[in-house]
Amino acid sequence: MIRKELVAASAEPLILSLLSRGESYGYAIIQEVKARSDGKLQWTDGMLYPVLHRMEHRGLIKSRWGESETGRKRKYYSLKKDGKTAMAKHHEQWSLVHSVLVGLQKEQYV
Amino acid sequence: MFNLEQSIAAWRQQMLAAGIKTPVPLEELEGHLREDIERQMKSGLNAQRAFENAIQHIGKANMLKSEFAKVDATKVANRLKQCQIIMVACLGVESLFWTTCLLLKKGRFSEITAAQQMSGLAAVAVMILLAGIGLSGHSPVILRRKVRDLICTSNGRLLGLLWVWVFGFVIGPVDTFFVLPNYAGGFLWIMLPPAGILFGFIGGLEKAAMKKTAMADLSAGQS
Repeated sequence: MIRKELVAASAEPLILSLLSRGESYGYAIIQEVKARSDGKLQWTDGMLYPVLHRMEHRGLIKSRWGESETGRKRKYYSLKKDGKTAMAKHHEQWSLVHSVLVGLQKEQYV
Repeated sequence: MFNLEQSIAAWRQQMLAAGIKTPVPLEELEGHLREDIERQMKSGLNAQRAFENAIQHIGKANMLKSEFAKVDATKVANRLKQCQIIMVACLGVESLFWTTCLLLKKGRFSEITAAQQMSGLAAVAVMILLAGIGLSGHSPVILRRKVRDLICTSNGRLLGLLWVWVFGFVIGPVDTFFVLPNYAGGFLWIMLPPAGILFGFIGGLEKAAMKKTAMADLSAGQS
């Protein structure tokens, strides 16, 4: 299981990256993250919504009420222009951290 | 016998009791809960088990409430910041205008003496001081939003009238320092101090109330 601090820090870049592929909703976002991490990245489901609302308030994403296949009300989120910029920044920073870690790991085996 | 709709209604009541607002975000959370239950039931679980799992997945009401409270606090803080920037800008423009008029002896101030000039500048300084006290968060703590709104929307008039009375009948007549020529009753002394309080209090009242609420939330969270 991944530490909760890292789970919290990765929430925004993951949400932005998922939404960059098209609009989505809370439940689907959680399922997708769970599936892509083989269940190792697990959020308390309800905690996703304050994060989404905060990101919406900061102008990174926008939302609209729609309907599910069964006719139930569902809130869809999509990326805004500022969200794309924020996503690019996140990718740059996480890539940097990743490359430093990989570099250090390689040195250990030399 | 387990009744899914009754159980969801009871869960809603728990959320409402904890302070989760409706329609947003409670409707969104309920949609999530129902979706989770539906998927689990499709994969073979019975309604009761699916419901129990789903409420565990979604998290406890008090935990969710504290996270949503942080979102609300961010919104209020941003609005407050915007409001304070506007207030400081207005205060700056007003101070600059009157200071320039007084120092350069422009318009109606063309015939003022050095003492009267000082008196006018002191009125400007009092306005800045009062605004500064309010904006720096030293306003009284009024937790009821309606009362704060009432004060902020009306204090320009109520406070102005009160000050005109105090100044016009008590301070002005007994001290010539406050009297500038061509301005009956010391125009700047009548207008600027209430303006300072108005500038300071509009942002300051919200800031003081927010600080107090945040401290209460923090101590509730620690207990």
